[in-house]
Amino acid sequence: MNKPSLTLIASLVAALFAVSPPVEAQQPKRPNIVVILGDDLGFADLGSYGSEIRTPNIDALAKAGVRFTNFYTSATSSPTRSMLLTGVDTHLNGLGNMDEWAAPNQWGIDGYEGYINDRVAMLPQLLKGAGYHTYMVGKWHLGKQPNRIPAARGFERDFTLLDGGGSYWDMTNVPAAAPKSVFTEDGKYLTRLPDDYYATKTYTDKLISFIDANKGDGKPFFAYVSHQAPHDPFHLPKDWRNRHVGEYDKGWDAVRQERLKKQVELGIMPAGTKLSERMWFVPDPIVLAPASRAILGKKMELYAGMVENLDHHVGRLVDHLKAIGEYENTIFVVFGDNGAEGTDLFKMVAGSPGSRDYLYAAAAWSQTHPNAWGDPGSYVGYGPMWAQVSMTPFSQFKGWMAEGGIRNALILSGPVVKRPAGSINHGVMHVADFMPTLLEVAGATYPKSIAGKELHPLIGKSWGPMLAGQVDSVRTDKDYLAWEIFGNRAVRQGDWKLRWQWQPYGKGDWELFNLKADPAERIDLAAKNPDKLRAMIALWDEYAKANNVVLPSRSMFETLVDALPMRVPDDSGYPPLLYKRQFVPPKDMVADPKP
Amino acid sequence: MKKLSWLRLVAASLAVAGALVSTQALAQVPGRFYWQNLEGGNGVPLIFNSLTGNSNPFDPSHQVTPGASFDATMAIMGYAHTFALGDRSAMAAVILPMGRISGDASLAGRTASQSASGFGDPTLEFTVNVIGPKVQRNIPDVIRYEPGFSLNLLADLALPIGEYNGNQALNIGQNRWYGRLGAPIVWQLGDWVPGRRTTLEFLPAVWLFGDNTDYLGGQRLKTDPLFQLDAHLTRDFTEHFWGALDFVWYNGGKATVNGVSGEKLNNIGGGLTLGYTINQNLNLTIGYKSTFNSSSPGELRMDGFMISLVYGWHPLIEGMKRLKSE
Repeated sequence: MNKPSLTLIASLVAALFAVSPPVEAQQPKRPNIVVILGDDLGFADLGSYGSEIRTPNIDALAKAGVRFTNFYTSATSSPTRSMLLTGVDTHLNGLGNMDEWAAPNQWGIDGYEGYINDRVAMLPQLLKGAGYHTYMVGKWHLGKQPNRIPAARGFERDFTLLDGGGSYWDMTNVPAAAPKSVFTEDGKYLTRLPDDYYATKTYTDKLISFIDANKGDGKPFFAYVSHQAPHDPFHLPKDWRNRHVGEYDKGWDAVRQERLKKQVELGIMPAGTKLSERMWFVPDPIVLAPASRAILGKKMELYAGMVENLDHHVGRLVDHLKAIGEYENTIFVVFGDNGAEGTDLFKMVAGSPGSRDYLYAAAAWSQTHPNAWGDPGSYVGYGPMWAQVSMTPFSQFKGWMAEGGIRNALILSGPVVKRPAGSINHGVMHVADFMPTLLEVAGATYPKSIAGKELHPLIGKSWGPMLAGQVDSVRTDKDYLAWEIFGNRAVRQGDWKLRWQWQPYGKGDWELFNLKADPAERIDLAAKNPDKLRAMIALWDEYAKANNVVLPSRSMFETLVDALPMRVPDDSGYPPLLYKRQFVPPKDMVADPKP
Repeated sequence: MKKLSWLRLVAASLAVAGALVSTQALAQVPGRFYWQNLEGGNGVPLIFNSLTGNSNPFDPSHQVTPGASFDATMAIMGYAHTFALGDRSAMAAVILPMGRISGDASLAGRTASQSASGFGDPTLEFTVNVIGPKVQRNIPDVIRYEPGFSLNLLADLALPIGEYNGNQALNIGQNRWYGRLGAPIVWQLGDWVPGRRTTLEFLPAVWLFGDNTDYLGGQRLKTDPLFQLDAHLTRDFTEHFWGALDFVWYNGGKATVNGVSGEKLNNIGGGLTLGYTINQNLNLTIGYKSTFNSSSPGELRMDGFMISLVYGWHPLIEGMKRLKSE
């Protein structure tokens, strides 16, 4: 990958570097930075990205700032977080694979530790050194040992869920082997959670208290608001559960079509964009019984409530910053950490009767009645059909290298944004870009070494020139991005996308797509473009070599080809047998039988 | 995709369909009899009562015979059907009491024994919901049903065609028209999640009685209106097992025989009920109730055990079960 640009946002950086304590009051204040991460939040789940889900507070940030349509993360959670906070490729920073799924041939290899290793510098660490207060609330998922927790990696204050998920109401976790979620507050492991705990609310309350504690001392702050929402289980307060009753009974196809139509109207997607295939194992909702659609729709109702509740608490934070006079000087960044979740995580962990995890789930996670969904002890996810809705118009979802796994919504607002308010940018961006971008904003630099250890290079590019309106994209057609997780891999260069995925989601071979013409990745162009295919594979090889990619010997998807139905084309209206309605003869030809 | 479990949810809900039939005796109406169900549902209740006391349990006026001691074995069978009335749920039912009763009455040092058996007065019942969720027209409506605060209107009419002998006090049939107007109330307390449901239920009602002109050898029996309040606090223990504390209050119902008036009732009683869903069609209820008495011989005194089985079905659910069993 190309080295990151070190172009600075001229006006800001000039001011920042010139700052010295005696004249600080006379210099432009460095902006606060608030990074709001929605866990498994989909590309199309915000109102400003075409969703029917009501997100007025986040949409207000979009209206004041810029929306991005070609922003990429990793296909899963902790790798994205690792790149956000280090700017270094996952295969070097320690998250070459998720801790939970590290393959035997990756064990013990540098870059595959399952936590952020010591050969990277952390964004909060550098911002703290640059004079920022550094706060974190929410999900960490980057290590639990005392030297790996947020307080040890640069966060001055924190209230953190160290695990990758779990209950929103208490410390209940899903696996029987690790039944209790681990939390820290200001570097101490918690024995219990605060009274009246609800994750999204409590995280927001804590962050507001952190901000207020240092309010007025003149230092800017960096807040990493790493919400657990809307990751499953869909736990949410009762008054947020029934705001979309029956709204999703129409089924996922209809909602996808509505969202795409809105995306085109908004300018998020170009006119003529087609939806990706409905996953071949997902039924056309038209053929489902009303009760099936009601039950499956209720899962999406809860998900919508999760997103709206998240938006509500984002609104609380924004309102507080307005109340204390910090809103105008705050950069807000909002995005999802990967594609929406289409895999049944609960079934994966606890779905085998007779197993230890099943027995534990019977005690801790068995509130299965729809009226209990949202309560402690319930575990509801919404399945691949609704995950596809969340990723409209893209193909597939979290864990996969299709656009539905790695492309996400990104909103950025605040004083560094000089582009028109409410504008949309289609430049190719990457989560690793945050490190150089935010260091520039803060007037900090990325060191070459820390504690005598040489650091891995940053892979991102600063968005400075783009945010300043000087360029539409910080990447040229020669620059490329590349990914690998669970053995799935991809490269994007310009409009071209190379992809290898486990069967049957992929072909177990390289596929080639032109994203400009086919953002839904319906047409594999590999056979028709052998030269381009070779060139893209060469980029992959270059990336893999430069970034220490060790393809896993085992993968969470290795048995899918035997577990799922045979892949068949997604032909709308096939078979006609299921769609032909009752024949109604002409009225003038109707008669009773003759005697 | 995850296997759908709504069939189980719906069938369990429908299992109580058809339980919506009142009994005339002290057992009264067990809790949860006025929860609403999918339109088009059917139910057949079979209720056994074993009762003792100083009043004929086949007689809803609960006319007290001081010093008497009756034993009754009573069964009630019926049929109920749920349907839509506009956008409200409604139910029509017919029930038929049957059984036998025997008793001794002591008066002026003499003891008289009587017994009777046969079919009692069939009763027609109609209820319609006026406040609460709209009618459940389809399975999504069933899934989304929560009673919240529900108020129904109820009307019963008994047909005087049961076994009756005008020469004895103890009868199965009552030889007069009578009926009831009531307003069953279901008040949901907290979550509506099987295993955690709690309700407070009331049935305020007034019984109205026509005259019996062939009472004990051609006398005229008149009975004033009898006000009755049933109350139940019900609570799930598990998804399929629940219990209730029951309370009943009677007031009024003064009987007059050929112009000679007796005492009006003003009695209370209480009891316990346990309910269990045996399978998707069958519900079992077991209960015991007793009046709370002083030693006054003129006071209503009754107690009894009750076992009820209610078989409920809906054509849609039965069809799905047939397909599933293929």
